[in-house]
Amino acid sequence: MFGLSAIAMAFVLSTTLDGSQKFDQPAPGARSPRNANYEIDVRLEPGDRTLHGRERIRWRNISANPTSELQFHLYWNAWRNAESTWLRERRLGGNGTTPRPDAWGSTDIKALHVTLDRSYDLGSNVRFIAPDDGNTADRTVAAVSLPQPVPPNGTVDIDIEWSAKIPRPFARTGYIDDYYFFGQWFPKIGVLEDAGWNTHQFHSATEFYSDYGVYDVRMTVPRGYIVGASGREVTSTDSSNGTVIHHYHGEDIHDFAWTTSPQFIVLTRTFTHPTLPQVQMRLLLRPEHAGQEARHFDAAGATLKYYGEWFGPYPYGNITIVDPAFQSGSGGMEYPTLFTAGTRWIAPTRVLAPESVTVHEAGHQWWYGLVGSNEFEHAWMDEGINQFSEARVDEVAFGTKNFLARRYFGGFVPWVFRDIPLKRQVDEGLAGYRAQAESDAEATPSFRYWPSTGGNITYFKTALWLHTLEKWLGWPTLQRAMSTYFDASKFRHPGPAEFFQSVNQAAGRDLTPFFDQVYRGSNTFDYGVQLLTSTPAGTGHYRTTVVVRRFGEATFPVDVLTTFSDGSKKTERWDGVERRAIYRYDTNIRARSVQVDPDRVLMLDVNYTNNSRTLQPRASEASLKWSLKWTAWLQDVLVTYAWLV
Amino acid sequence: MVAAPAVIVGIYVVTLIAAAPLATAIGFGISEHLGSSLIANDVADSVSYDWWQEFASQGSFLMLTSTFTPSILGFATTLDSVSGLLDKRPMVPAIALALCFYLLVWVFLQGGILDRYARGRRIGAHGFFAASGTFFLRFLRLGVTAGIAYWFLFAYVHEWLFAKWYVNVTRDIPVERTVFYWRLLMYAIFTALLALTATVLDYAKVRAVIEDRRSMSGALIAAIRFIVRNPWRVTGLYLTNTVLFLAVVGIWALSDPGAGGSGASMWAGVLVSQGYILARLIVKLQVLASATALFQRSLAHWGYIAAPGPVPPAPPIVETS
Repeated sequence: MFGLSAIAMAFVLSTTLDGSQKFDQPAPGARSPRNANYEIDVRLEPGDRTLHGRERIRWRNISANPTSELQFHLYWNAWRNAESTWLRERRLGGNGTTPRPDAWGSTDIKALHVTLDRSYDLGSNVRFIAPDDGNTADRTVAAVSLPQPVPPNGTVDIDIEWSAKIPRPFARTGYIDDYYFFGQWFPKIGVLEDAGWNTHQFHSATEFYSDYGVYDVRMTVPRGYIVGASGREVTSTDSSNGTVIHHYHGEDIHDFAWTTSPQFIVLTRTFTHPTLPQVQMRLLLRPEHAGQEARHFDAAGATLKYYGEWFGPYPYGNITIVDPAFQSGSGGMEYPTLFTAGTRWIAPTRVLAPESVTVHEAGHQWWYGLVGSNEFEHAWMDEGINQFSEARVDEVAFGTKNFLARRYFGGFVPWVFRDIPLKRQVDEGLAGYRAQAESDAEATPSFRYWPSTGGNITYFKTALWLHTLEKWLGWPTLQRAMSTYFDASKFRHPGPAEFFQSVNQAAGRDLTPFFDQVYRGSNTFDYGVQLLTSTPAGTGHYRTTVVVRRFGEATFPVDVLTTFSDGSKKTERWDGVERRAIYRYDTNIRARSVQVDPDRVLMLDVNYTNNSRTLQPRASEASLKWSLKWTAWLQDVLVTYAWLV
Repeated sequence: MVAAPAVIVGIYVVTLIAAAPLATAIGFGISEHLGSSLIANDVADSVSYDWWQEFASQGSFLMLTSTFTPSILGFATTLDSVSGLLDKRPMVPAIALALCFYLLVWVFLQGGILDRYARGRRIGAHGFFAASGTFFLRFLRLGVTAGIAYWFLFAYVHEWLFAKWYVNVTRDIPVERTVFYWRLLMYAIFTALLALTATVLDYAKVRAVIEDRRSMSGALIAAIRFIVRNPWRVTGLYLTNTVLFLAVVGIWALSDPGAGGSGASMWAGVLVSQGYILARLIVKLQVLASATALFQRSLAHWGYIAAPGPVPPAPPIVETS
């Protein structure tokens, strides 16, 4: 039914090149190319809330072409002034709050030396560029021209001395009281692809893309501060000046984050599995959440188990779970071998928090950490695929305790609705997607999404079309596609075409037209029943007429199921392309109902209520019940306010 | 108060009537949206959260669909309404209109209610509405003063408590429990101010009815004087009524009927929820009745009321003769 169109072919060819690097094979004895290796010494000064660091980046050009320029991310400059691209986009998204005076953050390069044939002092050559929007006020990307080009497979050492003003929490990084979380905190080299540098500015909704390497980081903090970081702690050395140097080492990772606070409770548990590698889980728990450690460990363990079984094993042997401080804004974020979870002081056991956020962020170890897709441009490849994967784990591991809850009194007091269990396919994203379905096409580079609505496309639309694929192709097929994709893409920067290719191969057919619609298009799916009649046509006979319609612009093959009064059924397969299809049945029994897509394969259908029609409707019964419920609510409001008179 | 069941029933009916038009509208909207869909089976028999969100996304139906949230279920209704009041949550215009109508009816009926409680005996429908009419304009004048007080509390005091003091004092606290305690303190202060205002208003009305005063500013001053002279008795009475309110809310929380199904379980849920509304109204009336009794006890004798009892109109036969 689906054939390759010329447009789709052109699209596939164009996206095959996406993110490609000619020499991205693993380095000898390593899992990844290890072409961006960092040695960092950083000192935290809590008194004036600053970081002071030196770093050496040993960078290898793994692209097909020489480069005579280096580009670096200086993420914290997103909060240097009000006209940064990050803050402009945040305002566009509806958040016009001006940061308070002590909230600003910044990074300043004090010195920059490059060693090629000899050492060059290029500190005065550093300039700021804005490749995405030309915003001259944005200082989140720095560039420096080299005295001689770095050839393909050539290596350069870059020594940078820098200092940074720690912001109040922005984008998961910053401080509150004696809690610090550091993400995107050091000058980080961009990614050189065959097509050139891919170093995007810091945008309000996207942030990651970097090459794999070895991180060797020494963090100096006041004595008594507990540290958690990417990689594994090698040593911890007391200094005479009241500080402690924590030395961490991580291999085949593409970023490094850390946290420190004297308040953490440190807990550990070992994940074991018959066929998967053992993983040491380390939890840094806030004291007010003591008692919730099992929920964090269980969720992280479930992720290691199911993601490991479904997609591939977690290779690092250790993982750190950070329970973030209240109001730190650092909850729910992923970094290699470390992530932040997020819970509440009152956390009902029948609600999947902290479990869902823990599973989600732990899951990013696969979709972001191990598979290093370009989050700036294809955020759906980590967030969307992970949203889908997380929902499966939520259901398999914790399905019986996932109920809707709402919070009242400033968001502090939760109430669990025991008769509203949440289902993974429809209750965790369809509403958000429905509201913003046409806001952007997924193929649009993610950093160009409309800031306030992009999340619904990135997370929920992707999860919904993956749920659709699961129902359409079956989980074994989709699981095979995802594990194949994972295996082929880990420690690399795959583009969308590689994912689509894996699905096509696993399905044994070309699904390009489907991906054209869900990935390249922003049209909505909406099938429905326009007409159902079943009238007597002679003695003992009934003529049943069914008209089904495509109300949306997007198309998908759907079943049309007509049920008769005796329970017998007739199913038609409609390709869903024409605006409508008409079915007529001459039977000796009357029809009772008709359903389009009765098994609800198409999870992207934005209006499922119109997908069915019955000749024995119960709408009045339903409306009576719910209007009576609503009456009691309104009476409660009235009586409450009557207290005032 | 209990000896005047007609008042309770009357107030309950008024509460039902005030809610009925909008409830009918939302019922119509639900019925329209479901049409002949099979989804109506799930919606009638249980909760279809999927449908619920789809219905809510259909947009405005007098903007009422935005209020059709899970907060309409069981005990969440109370959490939602009390939290909405104390958090100063904006109200949908249609709901605000219904509330205005309801409060106006309360203002009208309070003259009759207080007169009935003050006399401690049946006054009949004529007497009740005669007293209501007598005091309506006076209480409206009082309402203007009260409105200014509440406007000041919500527009300025609430803003200062929650948007300034609370924010400033909690912005650097990394412990949720501590921040929550601060918020509770803000709620306590704001609730105390609202309660004080409502209490002054109650005693002003009680005083106006019992002493048949026309000056509402005089009634307000007298109410304040009464509260100042009897702080422990007024506070004690208020706390007693608060305990009664909390008991009602507690029982409601325990008996939370949830969504239920259709048929008998639906009507059982309606019975429980309407029983709760009735109990809340009884608590409200209890506040008025006890305030009346307390005020009367401070006067010369129990059951004193200055205005003469209502005189029913003469029957037609008298006129013709």
